[in-house]
Amino acid sequence: MTPQFHIQLQTSATDASPAHYTCDANDTLLRAGLRQGLGLAYECNVGACGSCKFDLIDGEVDDLWPEAPGLRPKERERGKRLACQCVPRSDCTIKLRSGHEYVPQIQPRRHRASLISKTMLTSDIAIFTFQTSSPARFLAGQYALISHARLGQLRAYSMANLPNQQGLWQFGIRRVTGGKMSNLLFDAVQLQEPGTEAHMNELRDELSIDVPYGLAYLRQEITRPIVCIGGGSGLAPLLSILRQVGTDSAHHAIPTLLYGGRGPDDIPDVPTMLAEEGITLRFHPVVSVPELAQAGGWTGTVGFVHDTIHHHLTLALSEYEFYLAGPPPMIEATVRFLQLQGNVPAQQIHFDRFF
Amino acid sequence: MALIKICSIDAVPPGGSFRAEVPGLPPLAVFNLKDGFFVINDTCTHGEASLCDGEVEDGQVECPWHNARFCIKTGQALTFPAVEAQKSYPATCIGEDVMIDFQETV
Repeated sequence: MTPQFHIQLQTSATDASPAHYTCDANDTLLRAGLRQGLGLAYECNVGACGSCKFDLIDGEVDDLWPEAPGLRPKERERGKRLACQCVPRSDCTIKLRSGHEYVPQIQPRRHRASLISKTMLTSDIAIFTFQTSSPARFLAGQYALISHARLGQLRAYSMANLPNQQGLWQFGIRRVTGGKMSNLLFDAVQLQEPGTEAHMNELRDELSIDVPYGLAYLRQEITRPIVCIGGGSGLAPLLSILRQVGTDSAHHAIPTLLYGGRGPDDIPDVPTMLAEEGITLRFHPVVSVPELAQAGGWTGTVGFVHDTIHHHLTLALSEYEFYLAGPPPMIEATVRFLQLQGNVPAQQIHFDRFF
Repeated sequence: MALIKICSIDAVPPGGSFRAEVPGLPPLAVFNLKDGFFVINDTCTHGEASLCDGEVEDGQVECPWHNARFCIKTGQALTFPAVEAQKSYPATCIGEDVMIDFQETV
């Protein structure tokens, strides 16, 4: 049986009634707390953003990734650690920020999963469908942590579909050169074609998905018109949000998707895909590399997606709710534009920082 | 020219900060650095966190919510996710008091 430790949480030095939770020896301090409904500060879960940094007041932990970029060297010198990368080796007392905005609406769980299909979306992004025995419960825009025993590492991928009772989870995954997880998944499905069931079986129940996480989920109570802005595999959470908006009668305005790629091959036909599900949207793709645009016969806009925002939106930018997902430079440039030139309050711009 | 007292020098620990509330002004963060006292708005331009709860290092303060850093002397937003500068106020010390000229803001 996995040992279990007692974690005492100090949220501030003057906290009169610190929270407690338990953490298995194979779980991280962050995720164990979230599983038990505590609002521990986090964003990326994979060591990059630094939101879950904490002070170890008492006890012993193992740091799974002491070089994680989410902490600066000076912070490490002062003893800071990342809760998403630390597993307990004894009972612990930790000081970690918490807040109501982090309290999970759906408490995350680990599921065994099988890979059941792959559909190519662009030249290097595919939609992978996984099956679990329990229902798929999450909020549109959230992500999962996928792992495989053979790789011993976690990857964060956002769901592209909607929550469902059948236990189906769809992820938009880009094949990354040298990426262990993306290549494992791409190869597993490729090798089983045609007619070699063995490789598909290879990933049956071998994958673990730990889900749901993330704060960039659709705020269903906010009825401002929705603008999704993204690029690359950032398409997945935006698809989920667009699908949810399409089924929600509270949202009357047609949502907008601004999507950037390097060349025409990177641009998926989102309007056709969603039209098959009865969902309409305004789709404004843009490609950034002029040579690729020319070679591919592109007749649309060439440039960066954040430079095209004001061309396509008719209301003042502060009248919209924005959801962003994509490469870090795109997110940063977009936030900069929206806040500094569009006067959009930060609270109306949603994204999870994986950087 | 309207110099107003925002706190006493003793209220701000060396290398640290103090949150000052002055009628008619937003909450202020007062910093006591080696080369003087500096005052910027306390509420982070990105979220609603108090910068006085953040850590001070190398003339910068880090927002405790999202780890964005600001220059204490100029209020400039140095790291994402903050993109807007904090308003800063020229500060002077008179006797035992930290004063700002709140008309002459930068």
